[in-house]
Amino acid sequence: MTSANFLLNGLWIAVQPKNLLLCFIGCFWGSIVGVLPGLGPLAGMALLLPLTFSLDPTGAIIMLCGIFYGAMYGGSTTSILMRIPGEAASVVTCIDGYEMAKKGRAGAALSIAALGSFVGGVLSVIGLMLVAPRLADAMLAIGPAAEFTILLAALGVSIFAASGPLLKTIAMIALGLVLAMIGLDPLTATPRFTFGSLNLSDGLSFAAMAIGLFGISEILMSFSQTITERPQAPKLREMLPTKQELKDSAMPTVRGSFIGFFFGIVPGVGHIVSTFASYAVEKALSKHPEEFGKGAVAGVAGPETANNATTGAAMIPLLVLGIPAIPVTAVLLSALTIHGVQPGPLMIAQHPEIFWGLIASMLIGNFMLVVLNLPLVGLFVSMLRLPYGFLAPTILLVCIIGVYSIKASGFDLMVMVAFGILGYALRLMSFDIAPLLLAFVLGDRLEVNFRRALTISEGDYGIFLKGPAAQVAVAMVIAVTIGVLILKLRRWKAAA
Amino acid sequence: MVITWQREALPGRSWEVRLSVARHFRLIAASLVACSISSIALAQSYPARPVSLIVPAPTGGGTDVFARVLAEIVEGDLKQKFVVENRSGAGGTLGTTQIVAAKPDGYTVGFIWNSPLTTSPHSLNVAYTPDSYRAVMSIGFSSYVLCAQPGFPAKDAQEFIAKLKAPDAKYTYGNDGIGGTMQLAAERIFQSAGVKVRGIPFGGAGETAKNFLGGHVDFYGGSLPPILPHAQAGKAKCLLLTSAAKNPALPETDGLSALALDKAETVLWWGLIVPKDVPEPVFETLQKAFITAAGSEKFKAAMAKQGATLRVLDGKATDALIRTELTALGEVAKSLGIQKKTP
Repeated sequence: MTSANFLLNGLWIAVQPKNLLLCFIGCFWGSIVGVLPGLGPLAGMALLLPLTFSLDPTGAIIMLCGIFYGAMYGGSTTSILMRIPGEAASVVTCIDGYEMAKKGRAGAALSIAALGSFVGGVLSVIGLMLVAPRLADAMLAIGPAAEFTILLAALGVSIFAASGPLLKTIAMIALGLVLAMIGLDPLTATPRFTFGSLNLSDGLSFAAMAIGLFGISEILMSFSQTITERPQAPKLREMLPTKQELKDSAMPTVRGSFIGFFFGIVPGVGHIVSTFASYAVEKALSKHPEEFGKGAVAGVAGPETANNATTGAAMIPLLVLGIPAIPVTAVLLSALTIHGVQPGPLMIAQHPEIFWGLIASMLIGNFMLVVLNLPLVGLFVSMLRLPYGFLAPTILLVCIIGVYSIKASGFDLMVMVAFGILGYALRLMSFDIAPLLLAFVLGDRLEVNFRRALTISEGDYGIFLKGPAAQVAVAMVIAVTIGVLILKLRRWKAAA
Repeated sequence: MVITWQREALPGRSWEVRLSVARHFRLIAASLVACSISSIALAQSYPARPVSLIVPAPTGGGTDVFARVLAEIVEGDLKQKFVVENRSGAGGTLGTTQIVAAKPDGYTVGFIWNSPLTTSPHSLNVAYTPDSYRAVMSIGFSSYVLCAQPGFPAKDAQEFIAKLKAPDAKYTYGNDGIGGTMQLAAERIFQSAGVKVRGIPFGGAGETAKNFLGGHVDFYGGSLPPILPHAQAGKAKCLLLTSAAKNPALPETDGLSALALDKAETVLWWGLIVPKDVPEPVFETLQKAFITAAGSEKFKAAMAKQGATLRVLDGKATDALIRTELTALGEVAKSLGIQKKTP
């Protein structure tokens, strides 16, 4: 049988009424958990996992996967409307998405995010279908040394993505890296900066930090007199993107798909890294980089596409190698093993119905999501018609519920409030918060991979140049550095 | 004026104190009676409302799956909901602390794996010892395994150790993290066999497997499920289990018995614990219900699918296991220079 036959077979499995229903439930639930800040795909899947015990393995993974990529659709909603990242991968969307909302283009931003998500989602499933085994080999080639270098390149990219002056951006990255050090030392399990508290031994909660820095600080800003601009509810006929906006988002969407799929092979942090990378690329290529941070359409289209495009690639380690590279795929793995299906190199041969049924259902699910999400745009946007006096407490409540629901931890709520105040202070001094969050996410992986690599090589720095993956990664770092320098220099000359 | 007031006030106050003691005495007596009644009532009616089953691990892992399958079976038996609550964090010690500190009425129980009880206390300042909780039962275990690259020149455990003993031996193995049960299990064997292998800590067995398959470390050290399909596909040569006995999932692989190191066995096991002062009748009810559930066909099937071995122990035997393991791993941790760091 050829791949086409397998896919047709998979489509047949995916359109069985029961599987179709499960796919819908997954996508719908995924959208909801994506919209709710704090609740991400992981929590959403965990909640429905017990339900899958009584399903067959194909149905179980179809539904759970639906939650995974469905959440990537929903994540942009609160980012655009309230400046609260619905999940980690939507941090970047807060920047230009919220600015678009302030200009009354909330409807357009949401529609473009949904369309971009659709394109990214579908292209990544096609990528998964075509190059999964080869990409799996590439993933294995990336050892601790290469991973460190790739993440370093990602941090470099974020310098360019930031809107503020270089020094302020670097200060924020440093702060993010310092905050990432809180918790148990990843190699020796020594508590660092925990002040004897078990609550801090796992480090700070990313969701609590992100919601505090963005959402809570926005509410605090609104109290001060200086901010008069608020998101405007668009009129009905202004709900859809204009021709120009669609044109402006076409290429970023295509580029975002490739960037997202590529970063999907970076374990654990692919979703968030790909959004920053896409944002930086769009800003670099744009004829009007000064619009970024002030409501550039490309700044929404690119990252929102990229985070959906990572989902396809993120499935590869699980389906091809049986290795859960991220917590979300760990839940999928357990859903399969409960039914006695062991994903791994032999799964595609032994259980083609699961692999191809899942691929087909992901294609169908992406169609469902775009159909589901576009009409919802109107509903969500109408929330902006509420007077801010009602909206602000609602946002606060949503933030509190979201953060509390992750671990039922009162401590996380305090973290949220503390970072809300910090975010407020930083914004008064016009620091850019996004690089801080990226550095926080990457800090842990950067450190652990750096030290792992040196433990393997017994302190020999040559390991960072050993093997093709490491060499490609180093080439990437050099390219990024030169790119950043050239562009900064050109801008500086242009300004002078 | 002031002095008189004080003189008058003082006896009054002591009278108040006496009165309140008398009042409290009555209250204490009443509550004692109420307690004994309620404990009789408890035995007959427990569980009268839903029980929270705290699992200090995230949803979807082996511990969580076992807890959920057991909860479902016990629910049918005791006719009451057992609600699984995942409280992960700090290597399971956060959730375990919550279980230990819960009201000892039998409505908060915990399903745990051994690490937060016998491993973490060596590296973290935890607020509990084996005396602050009571083990109800345990269900069985899963061994860790050490695997080499397919081309490694050894075909069994004997040859494996011989290679490691060679004077120019310089190998790395991936483990689940410093101070974790997997690392201590491996180091316990290496020490007993008198060999040295450089440990590279990863975030979990999945990450270790990825780095092992990519050739970034020489040996895989971790649980069976992630490496099993690769061993079957010929991409890994599994040479030694951390359990004394062999495992049916990897029939070719030797257990520690092949090296006469049975005593160095360290495995991953799971069990039920409750706060120390849970009333005896409640303890008995739980022990009986969970032991029955663990013996059911449904649960056996769940264990088999995760590659785990069923070995049901009662509360007393589990308690003995915890204390022996805690001491043995404490010695390994100490020899590795892992010590409880007061932050």
